[in-house]
Amino acid sequence: MRKFLAVVRHEFKKIVLKWSFLIGTLLFPVLAGVLAMIPLIIFSLRGEPTKIAVADPTGNIFTRLEANLSAERLMEKARQAASEQFKDFSKSQEEAMKNDAAMFMENIVLIPYDTSGKTVDQIRGDLLAKIKADEADAYLMVPRSPDQPFEFRSRKGGDFITNDTFTDALNAAVRSQRLADANISEKRLEELSAKVKIDAKGIDETGAERDTAGTFIAAFAIGLMIYVTLAIYGQVIMGAVVEEKETRIAEILFSSARPFELMLGKLVGVGLAGLTQLSIWLTSAVVILGIAVSQTDVGPVLGMVPKITPFMLGLFLIFFLLGFFIYASIFALIGSMVTSMQEGSQFAFPPILIMLAGFYFCFAVVRDPNSTLSVLVSMAPFLAPITMPVRILAEMPPLWQIALAIVVNTITIAGLVWVTARVYRVGMLMYGKRATIPEVWKWIRHA
Amino acid sequence: MPDSRPLEATLRVSNVTKRFGEFTAVENLSFEVRAGRVFGFLGPNGAGKTTTIRMIVGITAPDAGEIELFGQTMSHGMQNRIGYLPEERGLYKKMKVVDQLRYFAELKGVERKVADDRIDHWLERMELADWKTKKTTDLSKGMQQKIQFISTVLHEPDLLILDEPFSGLDPINVEFLIDVISEFKTQEKTIIFSTHLMETAEKLCNDILLINKAQKVVGGSLREVKESYGTNLIAFRGAGAEKVLADKALIEKVVSHADEQELHLANGINPQLLLQKLMGSGAEITKFEITEPSLNDIFIERVKNA
Repeated sequence: MRKFLAVVRHEFKKIVLKWSFLIGTLLFPVLAGVLAMIPLIIFSLRGEPTKIAVADPTGNIFTRLEANLSAERLMEKARQAASEQFKDFSKSQEEAMKNDAAMFMENIVLIPYDTSGKTVDQIRGDLLAKIKADEADAYLMVPRSPDQPFEFRSRKGGDFITNDTFTDALNAAVRSQRLADANISEKRLEELSAKVKIDAKGIDETGAERDTAGTFIAAFAIGLMIYVTLAIYGQVIMGAVVEEKETRIAEILFSSARPFELMLGKLVGVGLAGLTQLSIWLTSAVVILGIAVSQTDVGPVLGMVPKITPFMLGLFLIFFLLGFFIYASIFALIGSMVTSMQEGSQFAFPPILIMLAGFYFCFAVVRDPNSTLSVLVSMAPFLAPITMPVRILAEMPPLWQIALAIVVNTITIAGLVWVTARVYRVGMLMYGKRATIPEVWKWIRHA
Repeated sequence: MPDSRPLEATLRVSNVTKRFGEFTAVENLSFEVRAGRVFGFLGPNGAGKTTTIRMIVGITAPDAGEIELFGQTMSHGMQNRIGYLPEERGLYKKMKVVDQLRYFAELKGVERKVADDRIDHWLERMELADWKTKKTTDLSKGMQQKIQFISTVLHEPDLLILDEPFSGLDPINVEFLIDVISEFKTQEKTIIFSTHLMETAEKLCNDILLINKAQKVVGGSLREVKESYGTNLIAFRGAGAEKVLADKALIEKVVSHADEQELHLANGINPQLLLQKLMGSGAEITKFEITEPSLNDIFIERVKNA
């Protein structure tokens, strides 16, 4: 037992007291935060305003279009769109929306063009000349009859936000004009064609409400975190095994302690290091969220995060450990078969693939936690450690299914550790060449 | 300690056989090693030395036969009393010297505090005290070998097994190692020392065992072994003896060295008879000496004729 503890401490310290561990532990949350922020930052960067020359022979569309592109109108629209998602907004959200609206308005400048007494071709030629002279970025030719196509040519084809805003405003302008032509009150029509409001929420079996979008994100996050940690620490185990084989330290170790003690000590030591890192990540996530709540007004967003009980947290821990021991013993087995880390990386592909499959199944599980597929993959050996926590988060499955998943995977671990111990004992002392599968099979049978 | 009394066998290997599939690495091997003596375990590469040692230190188990250590059947619990320096040996690359030594000592059941004291003592003695907190990658190869040796003795083993300990060592370190070995010998510890370098074995060993192709070839005290081979070799220098030397009835083989010849007597011919014949032939003899065969000779003869 003392030797076993010495191995555990040795493996733990070897990982945790390294710069790479410290950097990885601190960097991951920062990196995750930055990755989440980048799209927001990029889209909030303001481009040059788009100047659009408008040739409107009817004289009706231009004024309506200009009105539709005003800050008040745009904001009103944004508020409507948002109210379909959120029930009520805070002050800060309203403020943000106002800013966005102002931004879009400033982004489009309409230049009127006088069409009187000119043919279509003349107008087109003039407008193109304006674009050539850089007086405009795009032009719009309003047809004399609104049923004909509107001609819009732009040099900024890729700015889809501006294009969308402009198209929406134009549509609205044309529609208003048609209504006016048909003598229908615009206000009355809006009242009649108001959208049906659907109050959609997921519930659990007790009928308690839960937010589906929040659940999806949280389930995805937990699936990803388990997958990443398993993949990283699996490789760490393999590295540690290969080092002892490559440097022939194994021979000294085997003359000091039982191979089984050494192998298990290695798994437990590295596993503890992984748990340490995970708990630092979780704690920092909680702290960051806490700061975010106290400093800013993200209450409604936080409300989306599904409630995680201590019981669920305990289950997550159990499934993480099950996953760790399954994949760690596979990687240890590979490590004792090969002669170098490069060779090991080639063999690491199959277990990584299984993990990845487990991660992909998470999407199916989140969509329908009680489908036959979800039930099966959340109890299957190798997959359950990744899929079951996601299912628990999506909707708490019957306890017997959780218990069965734990039993099935514990048996898997027992089998894997047994096989790995046999391969480890022989493989660690075989120098010079990689073991073939038939050889390994022989070791398992005869060792 | 009762088990380290001289003359009582520290290690007894009885009829041990080890197979790997079709290949027999060690076949029906028996020998004893006594306390306070240096035991040379000799044989060509691939003879089965390392396999035998691995069974003695408990890394693998024999398929047949028994290994008794300190009067008991070998078990994992006894690994703490053995210090083993493997032929192929290494250190953790990115770990501090003191951390590795402490880990290896702990694996041999030494308490951390005790280990720390002994580490300081040995680093001092090996003139490596300044390197205590350096990593392996900062050490020269010679330094690494010293560290490896320290890790073998930190738990003060009763049986020390050194597999090719001198390979790659510089002369200063060789001297150093020989010093430590003799120190262990005076402490009545048992040293098994495997090599294919016969000169070193000849200098250091009290007892030897020569194995080849998985089997014992010859064994016993160095003296006995040499004497059993020692009466048919003559170192000869002289002129006018060609005729006698060419007589196959007297001399089986003549090996010429720089300034003398080595005469291998034919079966049943004793040195006195040859000397008489030489004197009778009128040869001018400047040297006529009955020599012991070197371990090297015995090794070559037995391994070649096997």
